[in-house]
Amino acid sequence: MTVDLKEVGRYLLLHGREPDQALAEKMARLGERASDAVRPARVWRRFPFDGVSVSSGGLRLDLSGTAADHLAGCRAAYLACGTLGAGFDAFHRRVSAVSGADALVVQAIGAAMIESWMDGVEDAIRAELEQGEALVPRYSPGYGDFPLEAQKTLLALLDAPRSVGVSLTSSLMMVPSKSVSAVIGVKKG
Amino acid sequence: MDIIPSGGIMFLDGAMGTELQARGLAPGECPEMWNLTHPADVRAVHEAYFAAGADAVYSNTFGANAAKFHGDAPLAEIVAAGVGLAREAAKAAGGVRRVALDIGPTGRLLKPAGDFSFDAAYDAFAGQVQAGAAAGADFVAIETMGDLYELKAAVLAAKENCALPVVATVALGEDGTLLTGADVDCVAALLEGLRADAAGFNCGFGPDLMLPFVRRMSGRTALPIVVKPNAGLPRLVDGKTVFTVGPEEFARDAVALVEAGASVVGGCCGTTPAHIAALRSALRGKAPVARAEPDVASRCVVTSGSRAVEITLGDTVMIGERINPTGKKKLKAALSEGDTAYVLREAVAQTEAGAHILDVNVGVPGLDEPAVLDEIVQAVQSVTDLPLQIDTSDPVALERALRHYNGRPLVNSVNGKEESMSTVLPLAAKYGGVVVALALDEGGIPPTAEGRVAVARKIVARGAEYGLAPSDFLVDVLCLAVSAEASSGAVILEALRRVREELGCRTCLGVSNISFGLPARPSLNAAFYTLALGAGLSAGIVNPLAADMTAAYRAYRALTGRDAQCGEWIANAPAIAAASAAVLPAAPAKASVDATEASGSPLFAAIRRGLRDDAAAAAKAALASGADPLSLVNEDIVPALETVGKGFEEKKVFLPQLLMAAEAAGAAFAVVKSAMPAQSGRSARGPVVMATVKGDIHDIGKNICRALLENYGFRVIDLGRDVPPEKVLEAVLRDTPKLVGLSALMTTTVGAMEETIRLVHAKSAGVPVAVGGAVLTEDYAVKIGADYYTKDAMGLVRLAERLCGD
Repeated sequence: MTVDLKEVGRYLLLHGREPDQALAEKMARLGERASDAVRPARVWRRFPFDGVSVSSGGLRLDLSGTAADHLAGCRAAYLACGTLGAGFDAFHRRVSAVSGADALVVQAIGAAMIESWMDGVEDAIRAELEQGEALVPRYSPGYGDFPLEAQKTLLALLDAPRSVGVSLTSSLMMVPSKSVSAVIGVKKG
Repeated sequence: MDIIPSGGIMFLDGAMGTELQARGLAPGECPEMWNLTHPADVRAVHEAYFAAGADAVYSNTFGANAAKFHGDAPLAEIVAAGVGLAREAAKAAGGVRRVALDIGPTGRLLKPAGDFSFDAAYDAFAGQVQAGAAAGADFVAIETMGDLYELKAAVLAAKENCALPVVATVALGEDGTLLTGADVDCVAALLEGLRADAAGFNCGFGPDLMLPFVRRMSGRTALPIVVKPNAGLPRLVDGKTVFTVGPEEFARDAVALVEAGASVVGGCCGTTPAHIAALRSALRGKAPVARAEPDVASRCVVTSGSRAVEITLGDTVMIGERINPTGKKKLKAALSEGDTAYVLREAVAQTEAGAHILDVNVGVPGLDEPAVLDEIVQAVQSVTDLPLQIDTSDPVALERALRHYNGRPLVNSVNGKEESMSTVLPLAAKYGGVVVALALDEGGIPPTAEGRVAVARKIVARGAEYGLAPSDFLVDVLCLAVSAEASSGAVILEALRRVREELGCRTCLGVSNISFGLPARPSLNAAFYTLALGAGLSAGIVNPLAADMTAAYRAYRALTGRDAQCGEWIANAPAIAAASAAVLPAAPAKASVDATEASGSPLFAAIRRGLRDDAAAAAKAALASGADPLSLVNEDIVPALETVGKGFEEKKVFLPQLLMAAEAAGAAFAVVKSAMPAQSGRSARGPVVMATVKGDIHDIGKNICRALLENYGFRVIDLGRDVPPEKVLEAVLRDTPKLVGLSALMTTTVGAMEETIRLVHAKSAGVPVAVGGAVLTEDYAVKIGADYYTKDAMGLVRLAERLCGD
């Protein structure tokens, strides 16, 4: 998996300015090591959407509120989850033990990588849509009033611990830490 | 295991989950509930597998553990019903039919990758094992494990809570590793060490892709090999997961697995009774292959959670000695003060210097060794993938650390005294460790090689009583100072040779003891290391940061044909050459002349540009040319850091650059400090206690603050992440800090932050608390009772400076 160093610069809040040589070298070197450390995985599944929820097997993911507004007009929705894997976190822990600067840069590299990985997930989903269907932008628990609590159901519907190795901590954080879960609506036209 | 027919192939069942889905189980629905709600369907699946020729079926209890199961019935009842249904089907089928208690993962990620503790995972499995054994299972089948640490918890829980045989299989990715990185060698070493009855693979992919991993496993363990592949790779069709490999193709590919060494075969996701029937007929009349790998049983492999290191008789490995407080003042202080960060830096430095295994010893008088060793071993494992050598003479500390260790450890050590053998050997056997055997006993250290070999022989023989093989030992023939006993070196070299030849054991040695009491020790150490390697030393316990030692190691391997095309030597040549040249400082002597003109000095420039190595080199050069240490601090280091700090506050310098400059300043300061008389210079300010609050494992913000504070000269007591309020209070009462800094990333953990603040305020004498983190604002900070809010790391440094009276 390659690293877009421009994007990394964005996550480091360089505000469009070029990094100086020392930082640029650090970004490139850590980017390579991060690429070796990740083992990305992804899963998605399509569900019918009744306007307020998706459900299956006694599990019901409540999407009322801003999530439903976001999915207005959709008749189906994908649930998706992607992750860089536990190896990335191990790499991040290692550099954190030695250097705060390295830790910060690796954090930004991870953010850029998981975003690009999720863009790829959306592309893959788009490729399996029927003629005349389109995706609305992905929406995740924690946005707006879509509660973090919803992660439990969302990940259960994807069997995420088994399918991609993503699970929740007791405070509802996803682990591995560079993981993203989302609802992606399907609209006609 | 006695349930596997000797000389025959044992057939297992195929998938349960996908069979129940075919009978109406919906995605997301809890399959184990069907033991109560649809018992006839579950029993029918078992019956179909028995009819297809399975010798054993797995009960429908995969997710029936307390950590995962959230169904609407008591767990014990679900497990008992699951085993009971399989039992009924077995009875109906007649003949010799077995029932396995099926155990799958908890669905939680264990620490340090996640927040779930090893003990909690163990408890979840233990409950399931007790219920399943009571319900009449014939053996325990642990499967689909994706994390070596969780696998260990499950196997231990099975072994300690029932007397049934234990079969364990893992789910590999296509790259041959588990989700948390362990490969086939790690799995084989762990399961051999824990005395599982059979080992192998299930799920993941079809039998075709499983083949190379079965071959690998066959060469790595003498245990029977179990395979339960999927009916091919899962494919998504119309939003549904389907498996497309049919019974004939599946059976054909599975025959290759048996030819590669598997002797217990079945199927996982997508396989059906037809797959098992096809398997049975394809393998009719076939016997398992003879696994003619003569050295399988005599391998010596230690592992971490993600890396296996083999110690062979034909090569040598380096064990890093630096995490041992004997004779190390700084480490002793760090351990006494609970400064884990210091220990972790030592671990990473040794890892990156090329060590293969790290020794961990926390023996400081007055320390609660069982608690500290346990904590440090887990912390070190979180930052390095090297296997560890757990080094303690306290059996309580040893057992606790062995239990919580992720992988197959080295145990340091047992000796020939009766008391040592009878406590350490059973622990090594139970937790699957490789043991360092010290060649001393009640009679002391034998003066001759003959005597030391005799003690080693006694220990190895005693180990056999506990099921330990000669390959489970590293014999330490003991390194005594040549300054005290002139023949010491010769005795050691002779003993190294004889242990290999007479006992067939690998050896280890704390090499640098040889030079104790003599000047110019590094040269003596390196020379003796080379001699010991020549005498066949398998594992030198050395300082991998000492350039002489790593050069000796690499030179030995290159010169004796162990380093193919001298590749490693060449790859490391620049570092080796630099180290031998570094005796004289390379940078120009100009630095001290320019020191008064701060902006022009190389040291100032290196710090401002954030170049850590350059800053340290510039400081060294300036000192070598006679610069006054204190003026280097006051005229270069501090002004450079101030310039960058101001630039950050004015938004001209960005956070990564600020941190890089701070670290460069820290590196330069460390050099300068070593040249200062003890009392002068800046002593550390603070201390500041830092923690990421309970429930929160995202500690990047806290780590950045720590790095910056430390490099601004503050002593930081870093309590880590997911820290309970009581632990923060304990540090506050013990270390009386000037400031407590707490971080939290998510709204879900701000509650824990509030609770921590309340506790610190209630129980301590006005120690102020500052908070920071993504979801916090000034108003929010006030609302939860914090004394200060800082929006970034520089803000926290400024606050600390104010509170410390600068």
